[in-house]
Amino acid sequence: MTVAPVKEEKRVFMTGNEVVAWAALAAGADIMYGYPITPQNEVMHYWSRLAPRYGKSFLQTEDELSAGFATTGGVMTGSKAFTATAGSGSVLMQEPMAMAEMMRLPTVTIVQQRGGPSTATVIYSQQEVTLTTMGGNGEGIRVVYSTAGHQDLYDYTIKAFNIAWKYRFPTFVLGDGYQAKMREPLTIYDPEKRGVKLLQPDPFVGKEGEPGRDRPPAQYRNTYNLEEELYEKIMSDMKEFEENSADIAEYESSYTEDAELVIIAHGIVFRAVREALDNLRQQGLPVGAFRPVTLRPLPVGQIKELVARVKKILVVESAYGQIARLIKEKACGAACEIHTMFKPGIGIAAEEVEVRAKEILAKQ
Amino acid sequence: MPVPAMPKSWRVDNKPHKFCPGCGHGLVLKCLGKAIDELEIQSRVVYGCDIGCSLLSWDLFNLDTVQTHHGRTTPVMAGMKRARPELICIAYMGDGGGYSIGVQHLVGAAMRNEKITVIVANNTQYAMTGGQMAPTTLPGQKTETSPYGRDAETTGLPFQGAEMIAAIAPEGAYVARGSVSHLAQLTRFLKKALRNQIDGHGFSFVEALSACPTNWRTDAAGTWEFVEKDMAEHFKRGEIKIPEKREAAADA
Amino acid sequence: MSDRIVEAYIGEYASGKSESAINRALELARKGRKVNLVDLDLVEPFYTLRPLQEELSRLGLEVIAWKTEETVGLGEAGTVIKPAARWALRRIGDVILDIGYGIEGARTLNLLEGADEDPDLKIFAVINISRPMTASVADIVAEVGTMGHVDGLINNTHLAEETTAALVQAGSRIVTTAANAMGLPVIATQAEEKLAGVIGPVDCMGNRVRPLKRFMPKAFW
Repeated sequence: MTVAPVKEEKRVFMTGNEVVAWAALAAGADIMYGYPITPQNEVMHYWSRLAPRYGKSFLQTEDELSAGFATTGGVMTGSKAFTATAGSGSVLMQEPMAMAEMMRLPTVTIVQQRGGPSTATVIYSQQEVTLTTMGGNGEGIRVVYSTAGHQDLYDYTIKAFNIAWKYRFPTFVLGDGYQAKMREPLTIYDPEKRGVKLLQPDPFVGKEGEPGRDRPPAQYRNTYNLEEELYEKIMSDMKEFEENSADIAEYESSYTEDAELVIIAHGIVFRAVREALDNLRQQGLPVGAFRPVTLRPLPVGQIKELVARVKKILVVESAYGQIARLIKEKACGAACEIHTMFKPGIGIAAEEVEVRAKEILAKQ
Repeated sequence: MPVPAMPKSWRVDNKPHKFCPGCGHGLVLKCLGKAIDELEIQSRVVYGCDIGCSLLSWDLFNLDTVQTHHGRTTPVMAGMKRARPELICIAYMGDGGGYSIGVQHLVGAAMRNEKITVIVANNTQYAMTGGQMAPTTLPGQKTETSPYGRDAETTGLPFQGAEMIAAIAPEGAYVARGSVSHLAQLTRFLKKALRNQIDGHGFSFVEALSACPTNWRTDAAGTWEFVEKDMAEHFKRGEIKIPEKREAAADA
Repeated sequence: MSDRIVEAYIGEYASGKSESAINRALELARKGRKVNLVDLDLVEPFYTLRPLQEELSRLGLEVIAWKTEETVGLGEAGTVIKPAARWALRRIGDVILDIGYGIEGARTLNLLEGADEDPDLKIFAVINISRPMTASVADIVAEVGTMGHVDGLINNTHLAEETTAALVQAGSRIVTTAANAMGLPVIATQAEEKLAGVIGPVDCMGNRVRPLKRFMPKAFW
């Protein structure tokens, strides 16, 4: 007998990892497979405590390879399955996620970025952008949401399940150690009460009837023999990905219309950018800000429009060029100056962004 | 043209299958097909195969199938079983996928008594990739990566995978080793392994000694001898772990 | 009856144990007492009092915690007890223990030499009803039930900057009802200084109000 976990809307005080567990419940997730790695462990701690109350399942596997592959198995049965990881675990996840890309499996993975490479720190970074968007041995047919706080973590974890099952691309919620551990208020809610219809999963295997007699067997492979076969498959998937990109892509932008300098950042760093922007605008400076919410697919149209029109861009990240690289690719050919502020593995304060923005504006 | 007798759970439309002449997989999978037929579970089975020659079985059966990554079939099927326990989940792989890259997953699944059935076809080398040395290669056996014969000093002795599983798995697990040289026995073991899953007792595991004349470069007589004489010296046929007799779980 | 105060603050993850422990320690220190504040957070090293120890020392507390620079691979190599923490109960003065979360939180006290014999040791469970696991009376009773031996509850209901006096009072009603159901006293209701001023010295259920200054938002790593 299962009970709806979140019945009424409520303002609550939680840490980010807990938010993920509650959001997964609210989204109707059936099962989580996971493996311990800091800073995402509390996603498992809370899911494993809550699961029995709501008729959900949990499996701690022997490593992240197993967690990721078990997730692929789970979704194939038509269950809303998810996993979570960070750091070196993210690296291991690339193998199962590459399989999910090829076989179009609607996995949901939460990544709480920590310092890298290797063990580095457990604290925070934005250094898993490349891994999460393009980490498999393919073309990165994935959806990646970069959240900027707890309300986002809740909203986008729920959305991730819907988007995954609608489009059948492995879907990721990209957070970080700060978001995972910090505490702040947010509103938890039942998505259906807010008019968000939760997609019901369709099984890949194990449907009714005897295969061969009542229905054809459902047989899935990820191996191809001919270059042409593979080419057709990839081109078909990419076409679908690109055709749906505009619908999937999300962004946030402020004051970009009259801006001479637009600051681009994603995730929690955008909070510092918002604060810096307020201060800079109060001082009458022509600054705007742009935040890609989906890092994959990027909001390409908006980015191209921006770089075609604006004189200067400043890309700010807690990594050494991982989001800048993605922006620069889209900006290719545009005349704007692209400045960067790279702070791998360390938090960025609004004041730092302000100072840098003023420096850039001052230069002719 | 008359069609040879095949298990009911096999597809007929895409035969002959793609395995080499004399390959052990055809025999092992025929025994598996027979076991599935006799247990009448065809509509509940999901079959997973690995990377290696086992992947050639991806469309062999009239069963829902997923071909996964090398060594990862065990966790995919374990994940499936956890999500939908009413499915009968079978993970089929070779000795490379099972005992090398996938051995960590076998240990995890066995230790947790995951209610899936794992079948490892052991032909003592990585066949599909051209015949490299595997954990089960015999001492002195020449392979592409042991061109002078496997040196036990530096690379160890043939891995006793089934015994390891039996040592790790808790009560309720079923572990056996059969061979393509004794098909009736192999079929029996596979049936008992699947029965163990159906009854919800625990992990079930069958290692099947198999043949690869292509990479062994053996004729029929030589193939038979290698399985029955050489491999038999290192890998003993029989049931290694059987659950103590108990009532089938009420909600199996 | 000894004058010595020994209190262990336990509770659900992020319930406010560290904040409670710090403020209580400072409250005692302001009265001229010698106070030892001990970091026993063993599950994970984010949000512990560790990074605040210099500031807290300057405010008159003896803080027993690792300095972050002294550690290696913090968070990866595990959270390690500082040996001095193990012997904290032997120290002169009051001892305030910040016990991190974890299944059966009170069992961390097994690591403390002499905890089972200390006649002054009191264990307080900190509750914030804005956290879903401890939002209702039933939830609180269930959660406290998993904690082992508890001597009292502390109402630490808040929503960070969004906290209102009404919320704190609502927390007090629920926490007090839960406490009564368990035969436990409510030691205090905690609220940020300004709100404490609004609520007064005693809350709607008759519990003492303890004003809090928030330190923990600065304590991320």
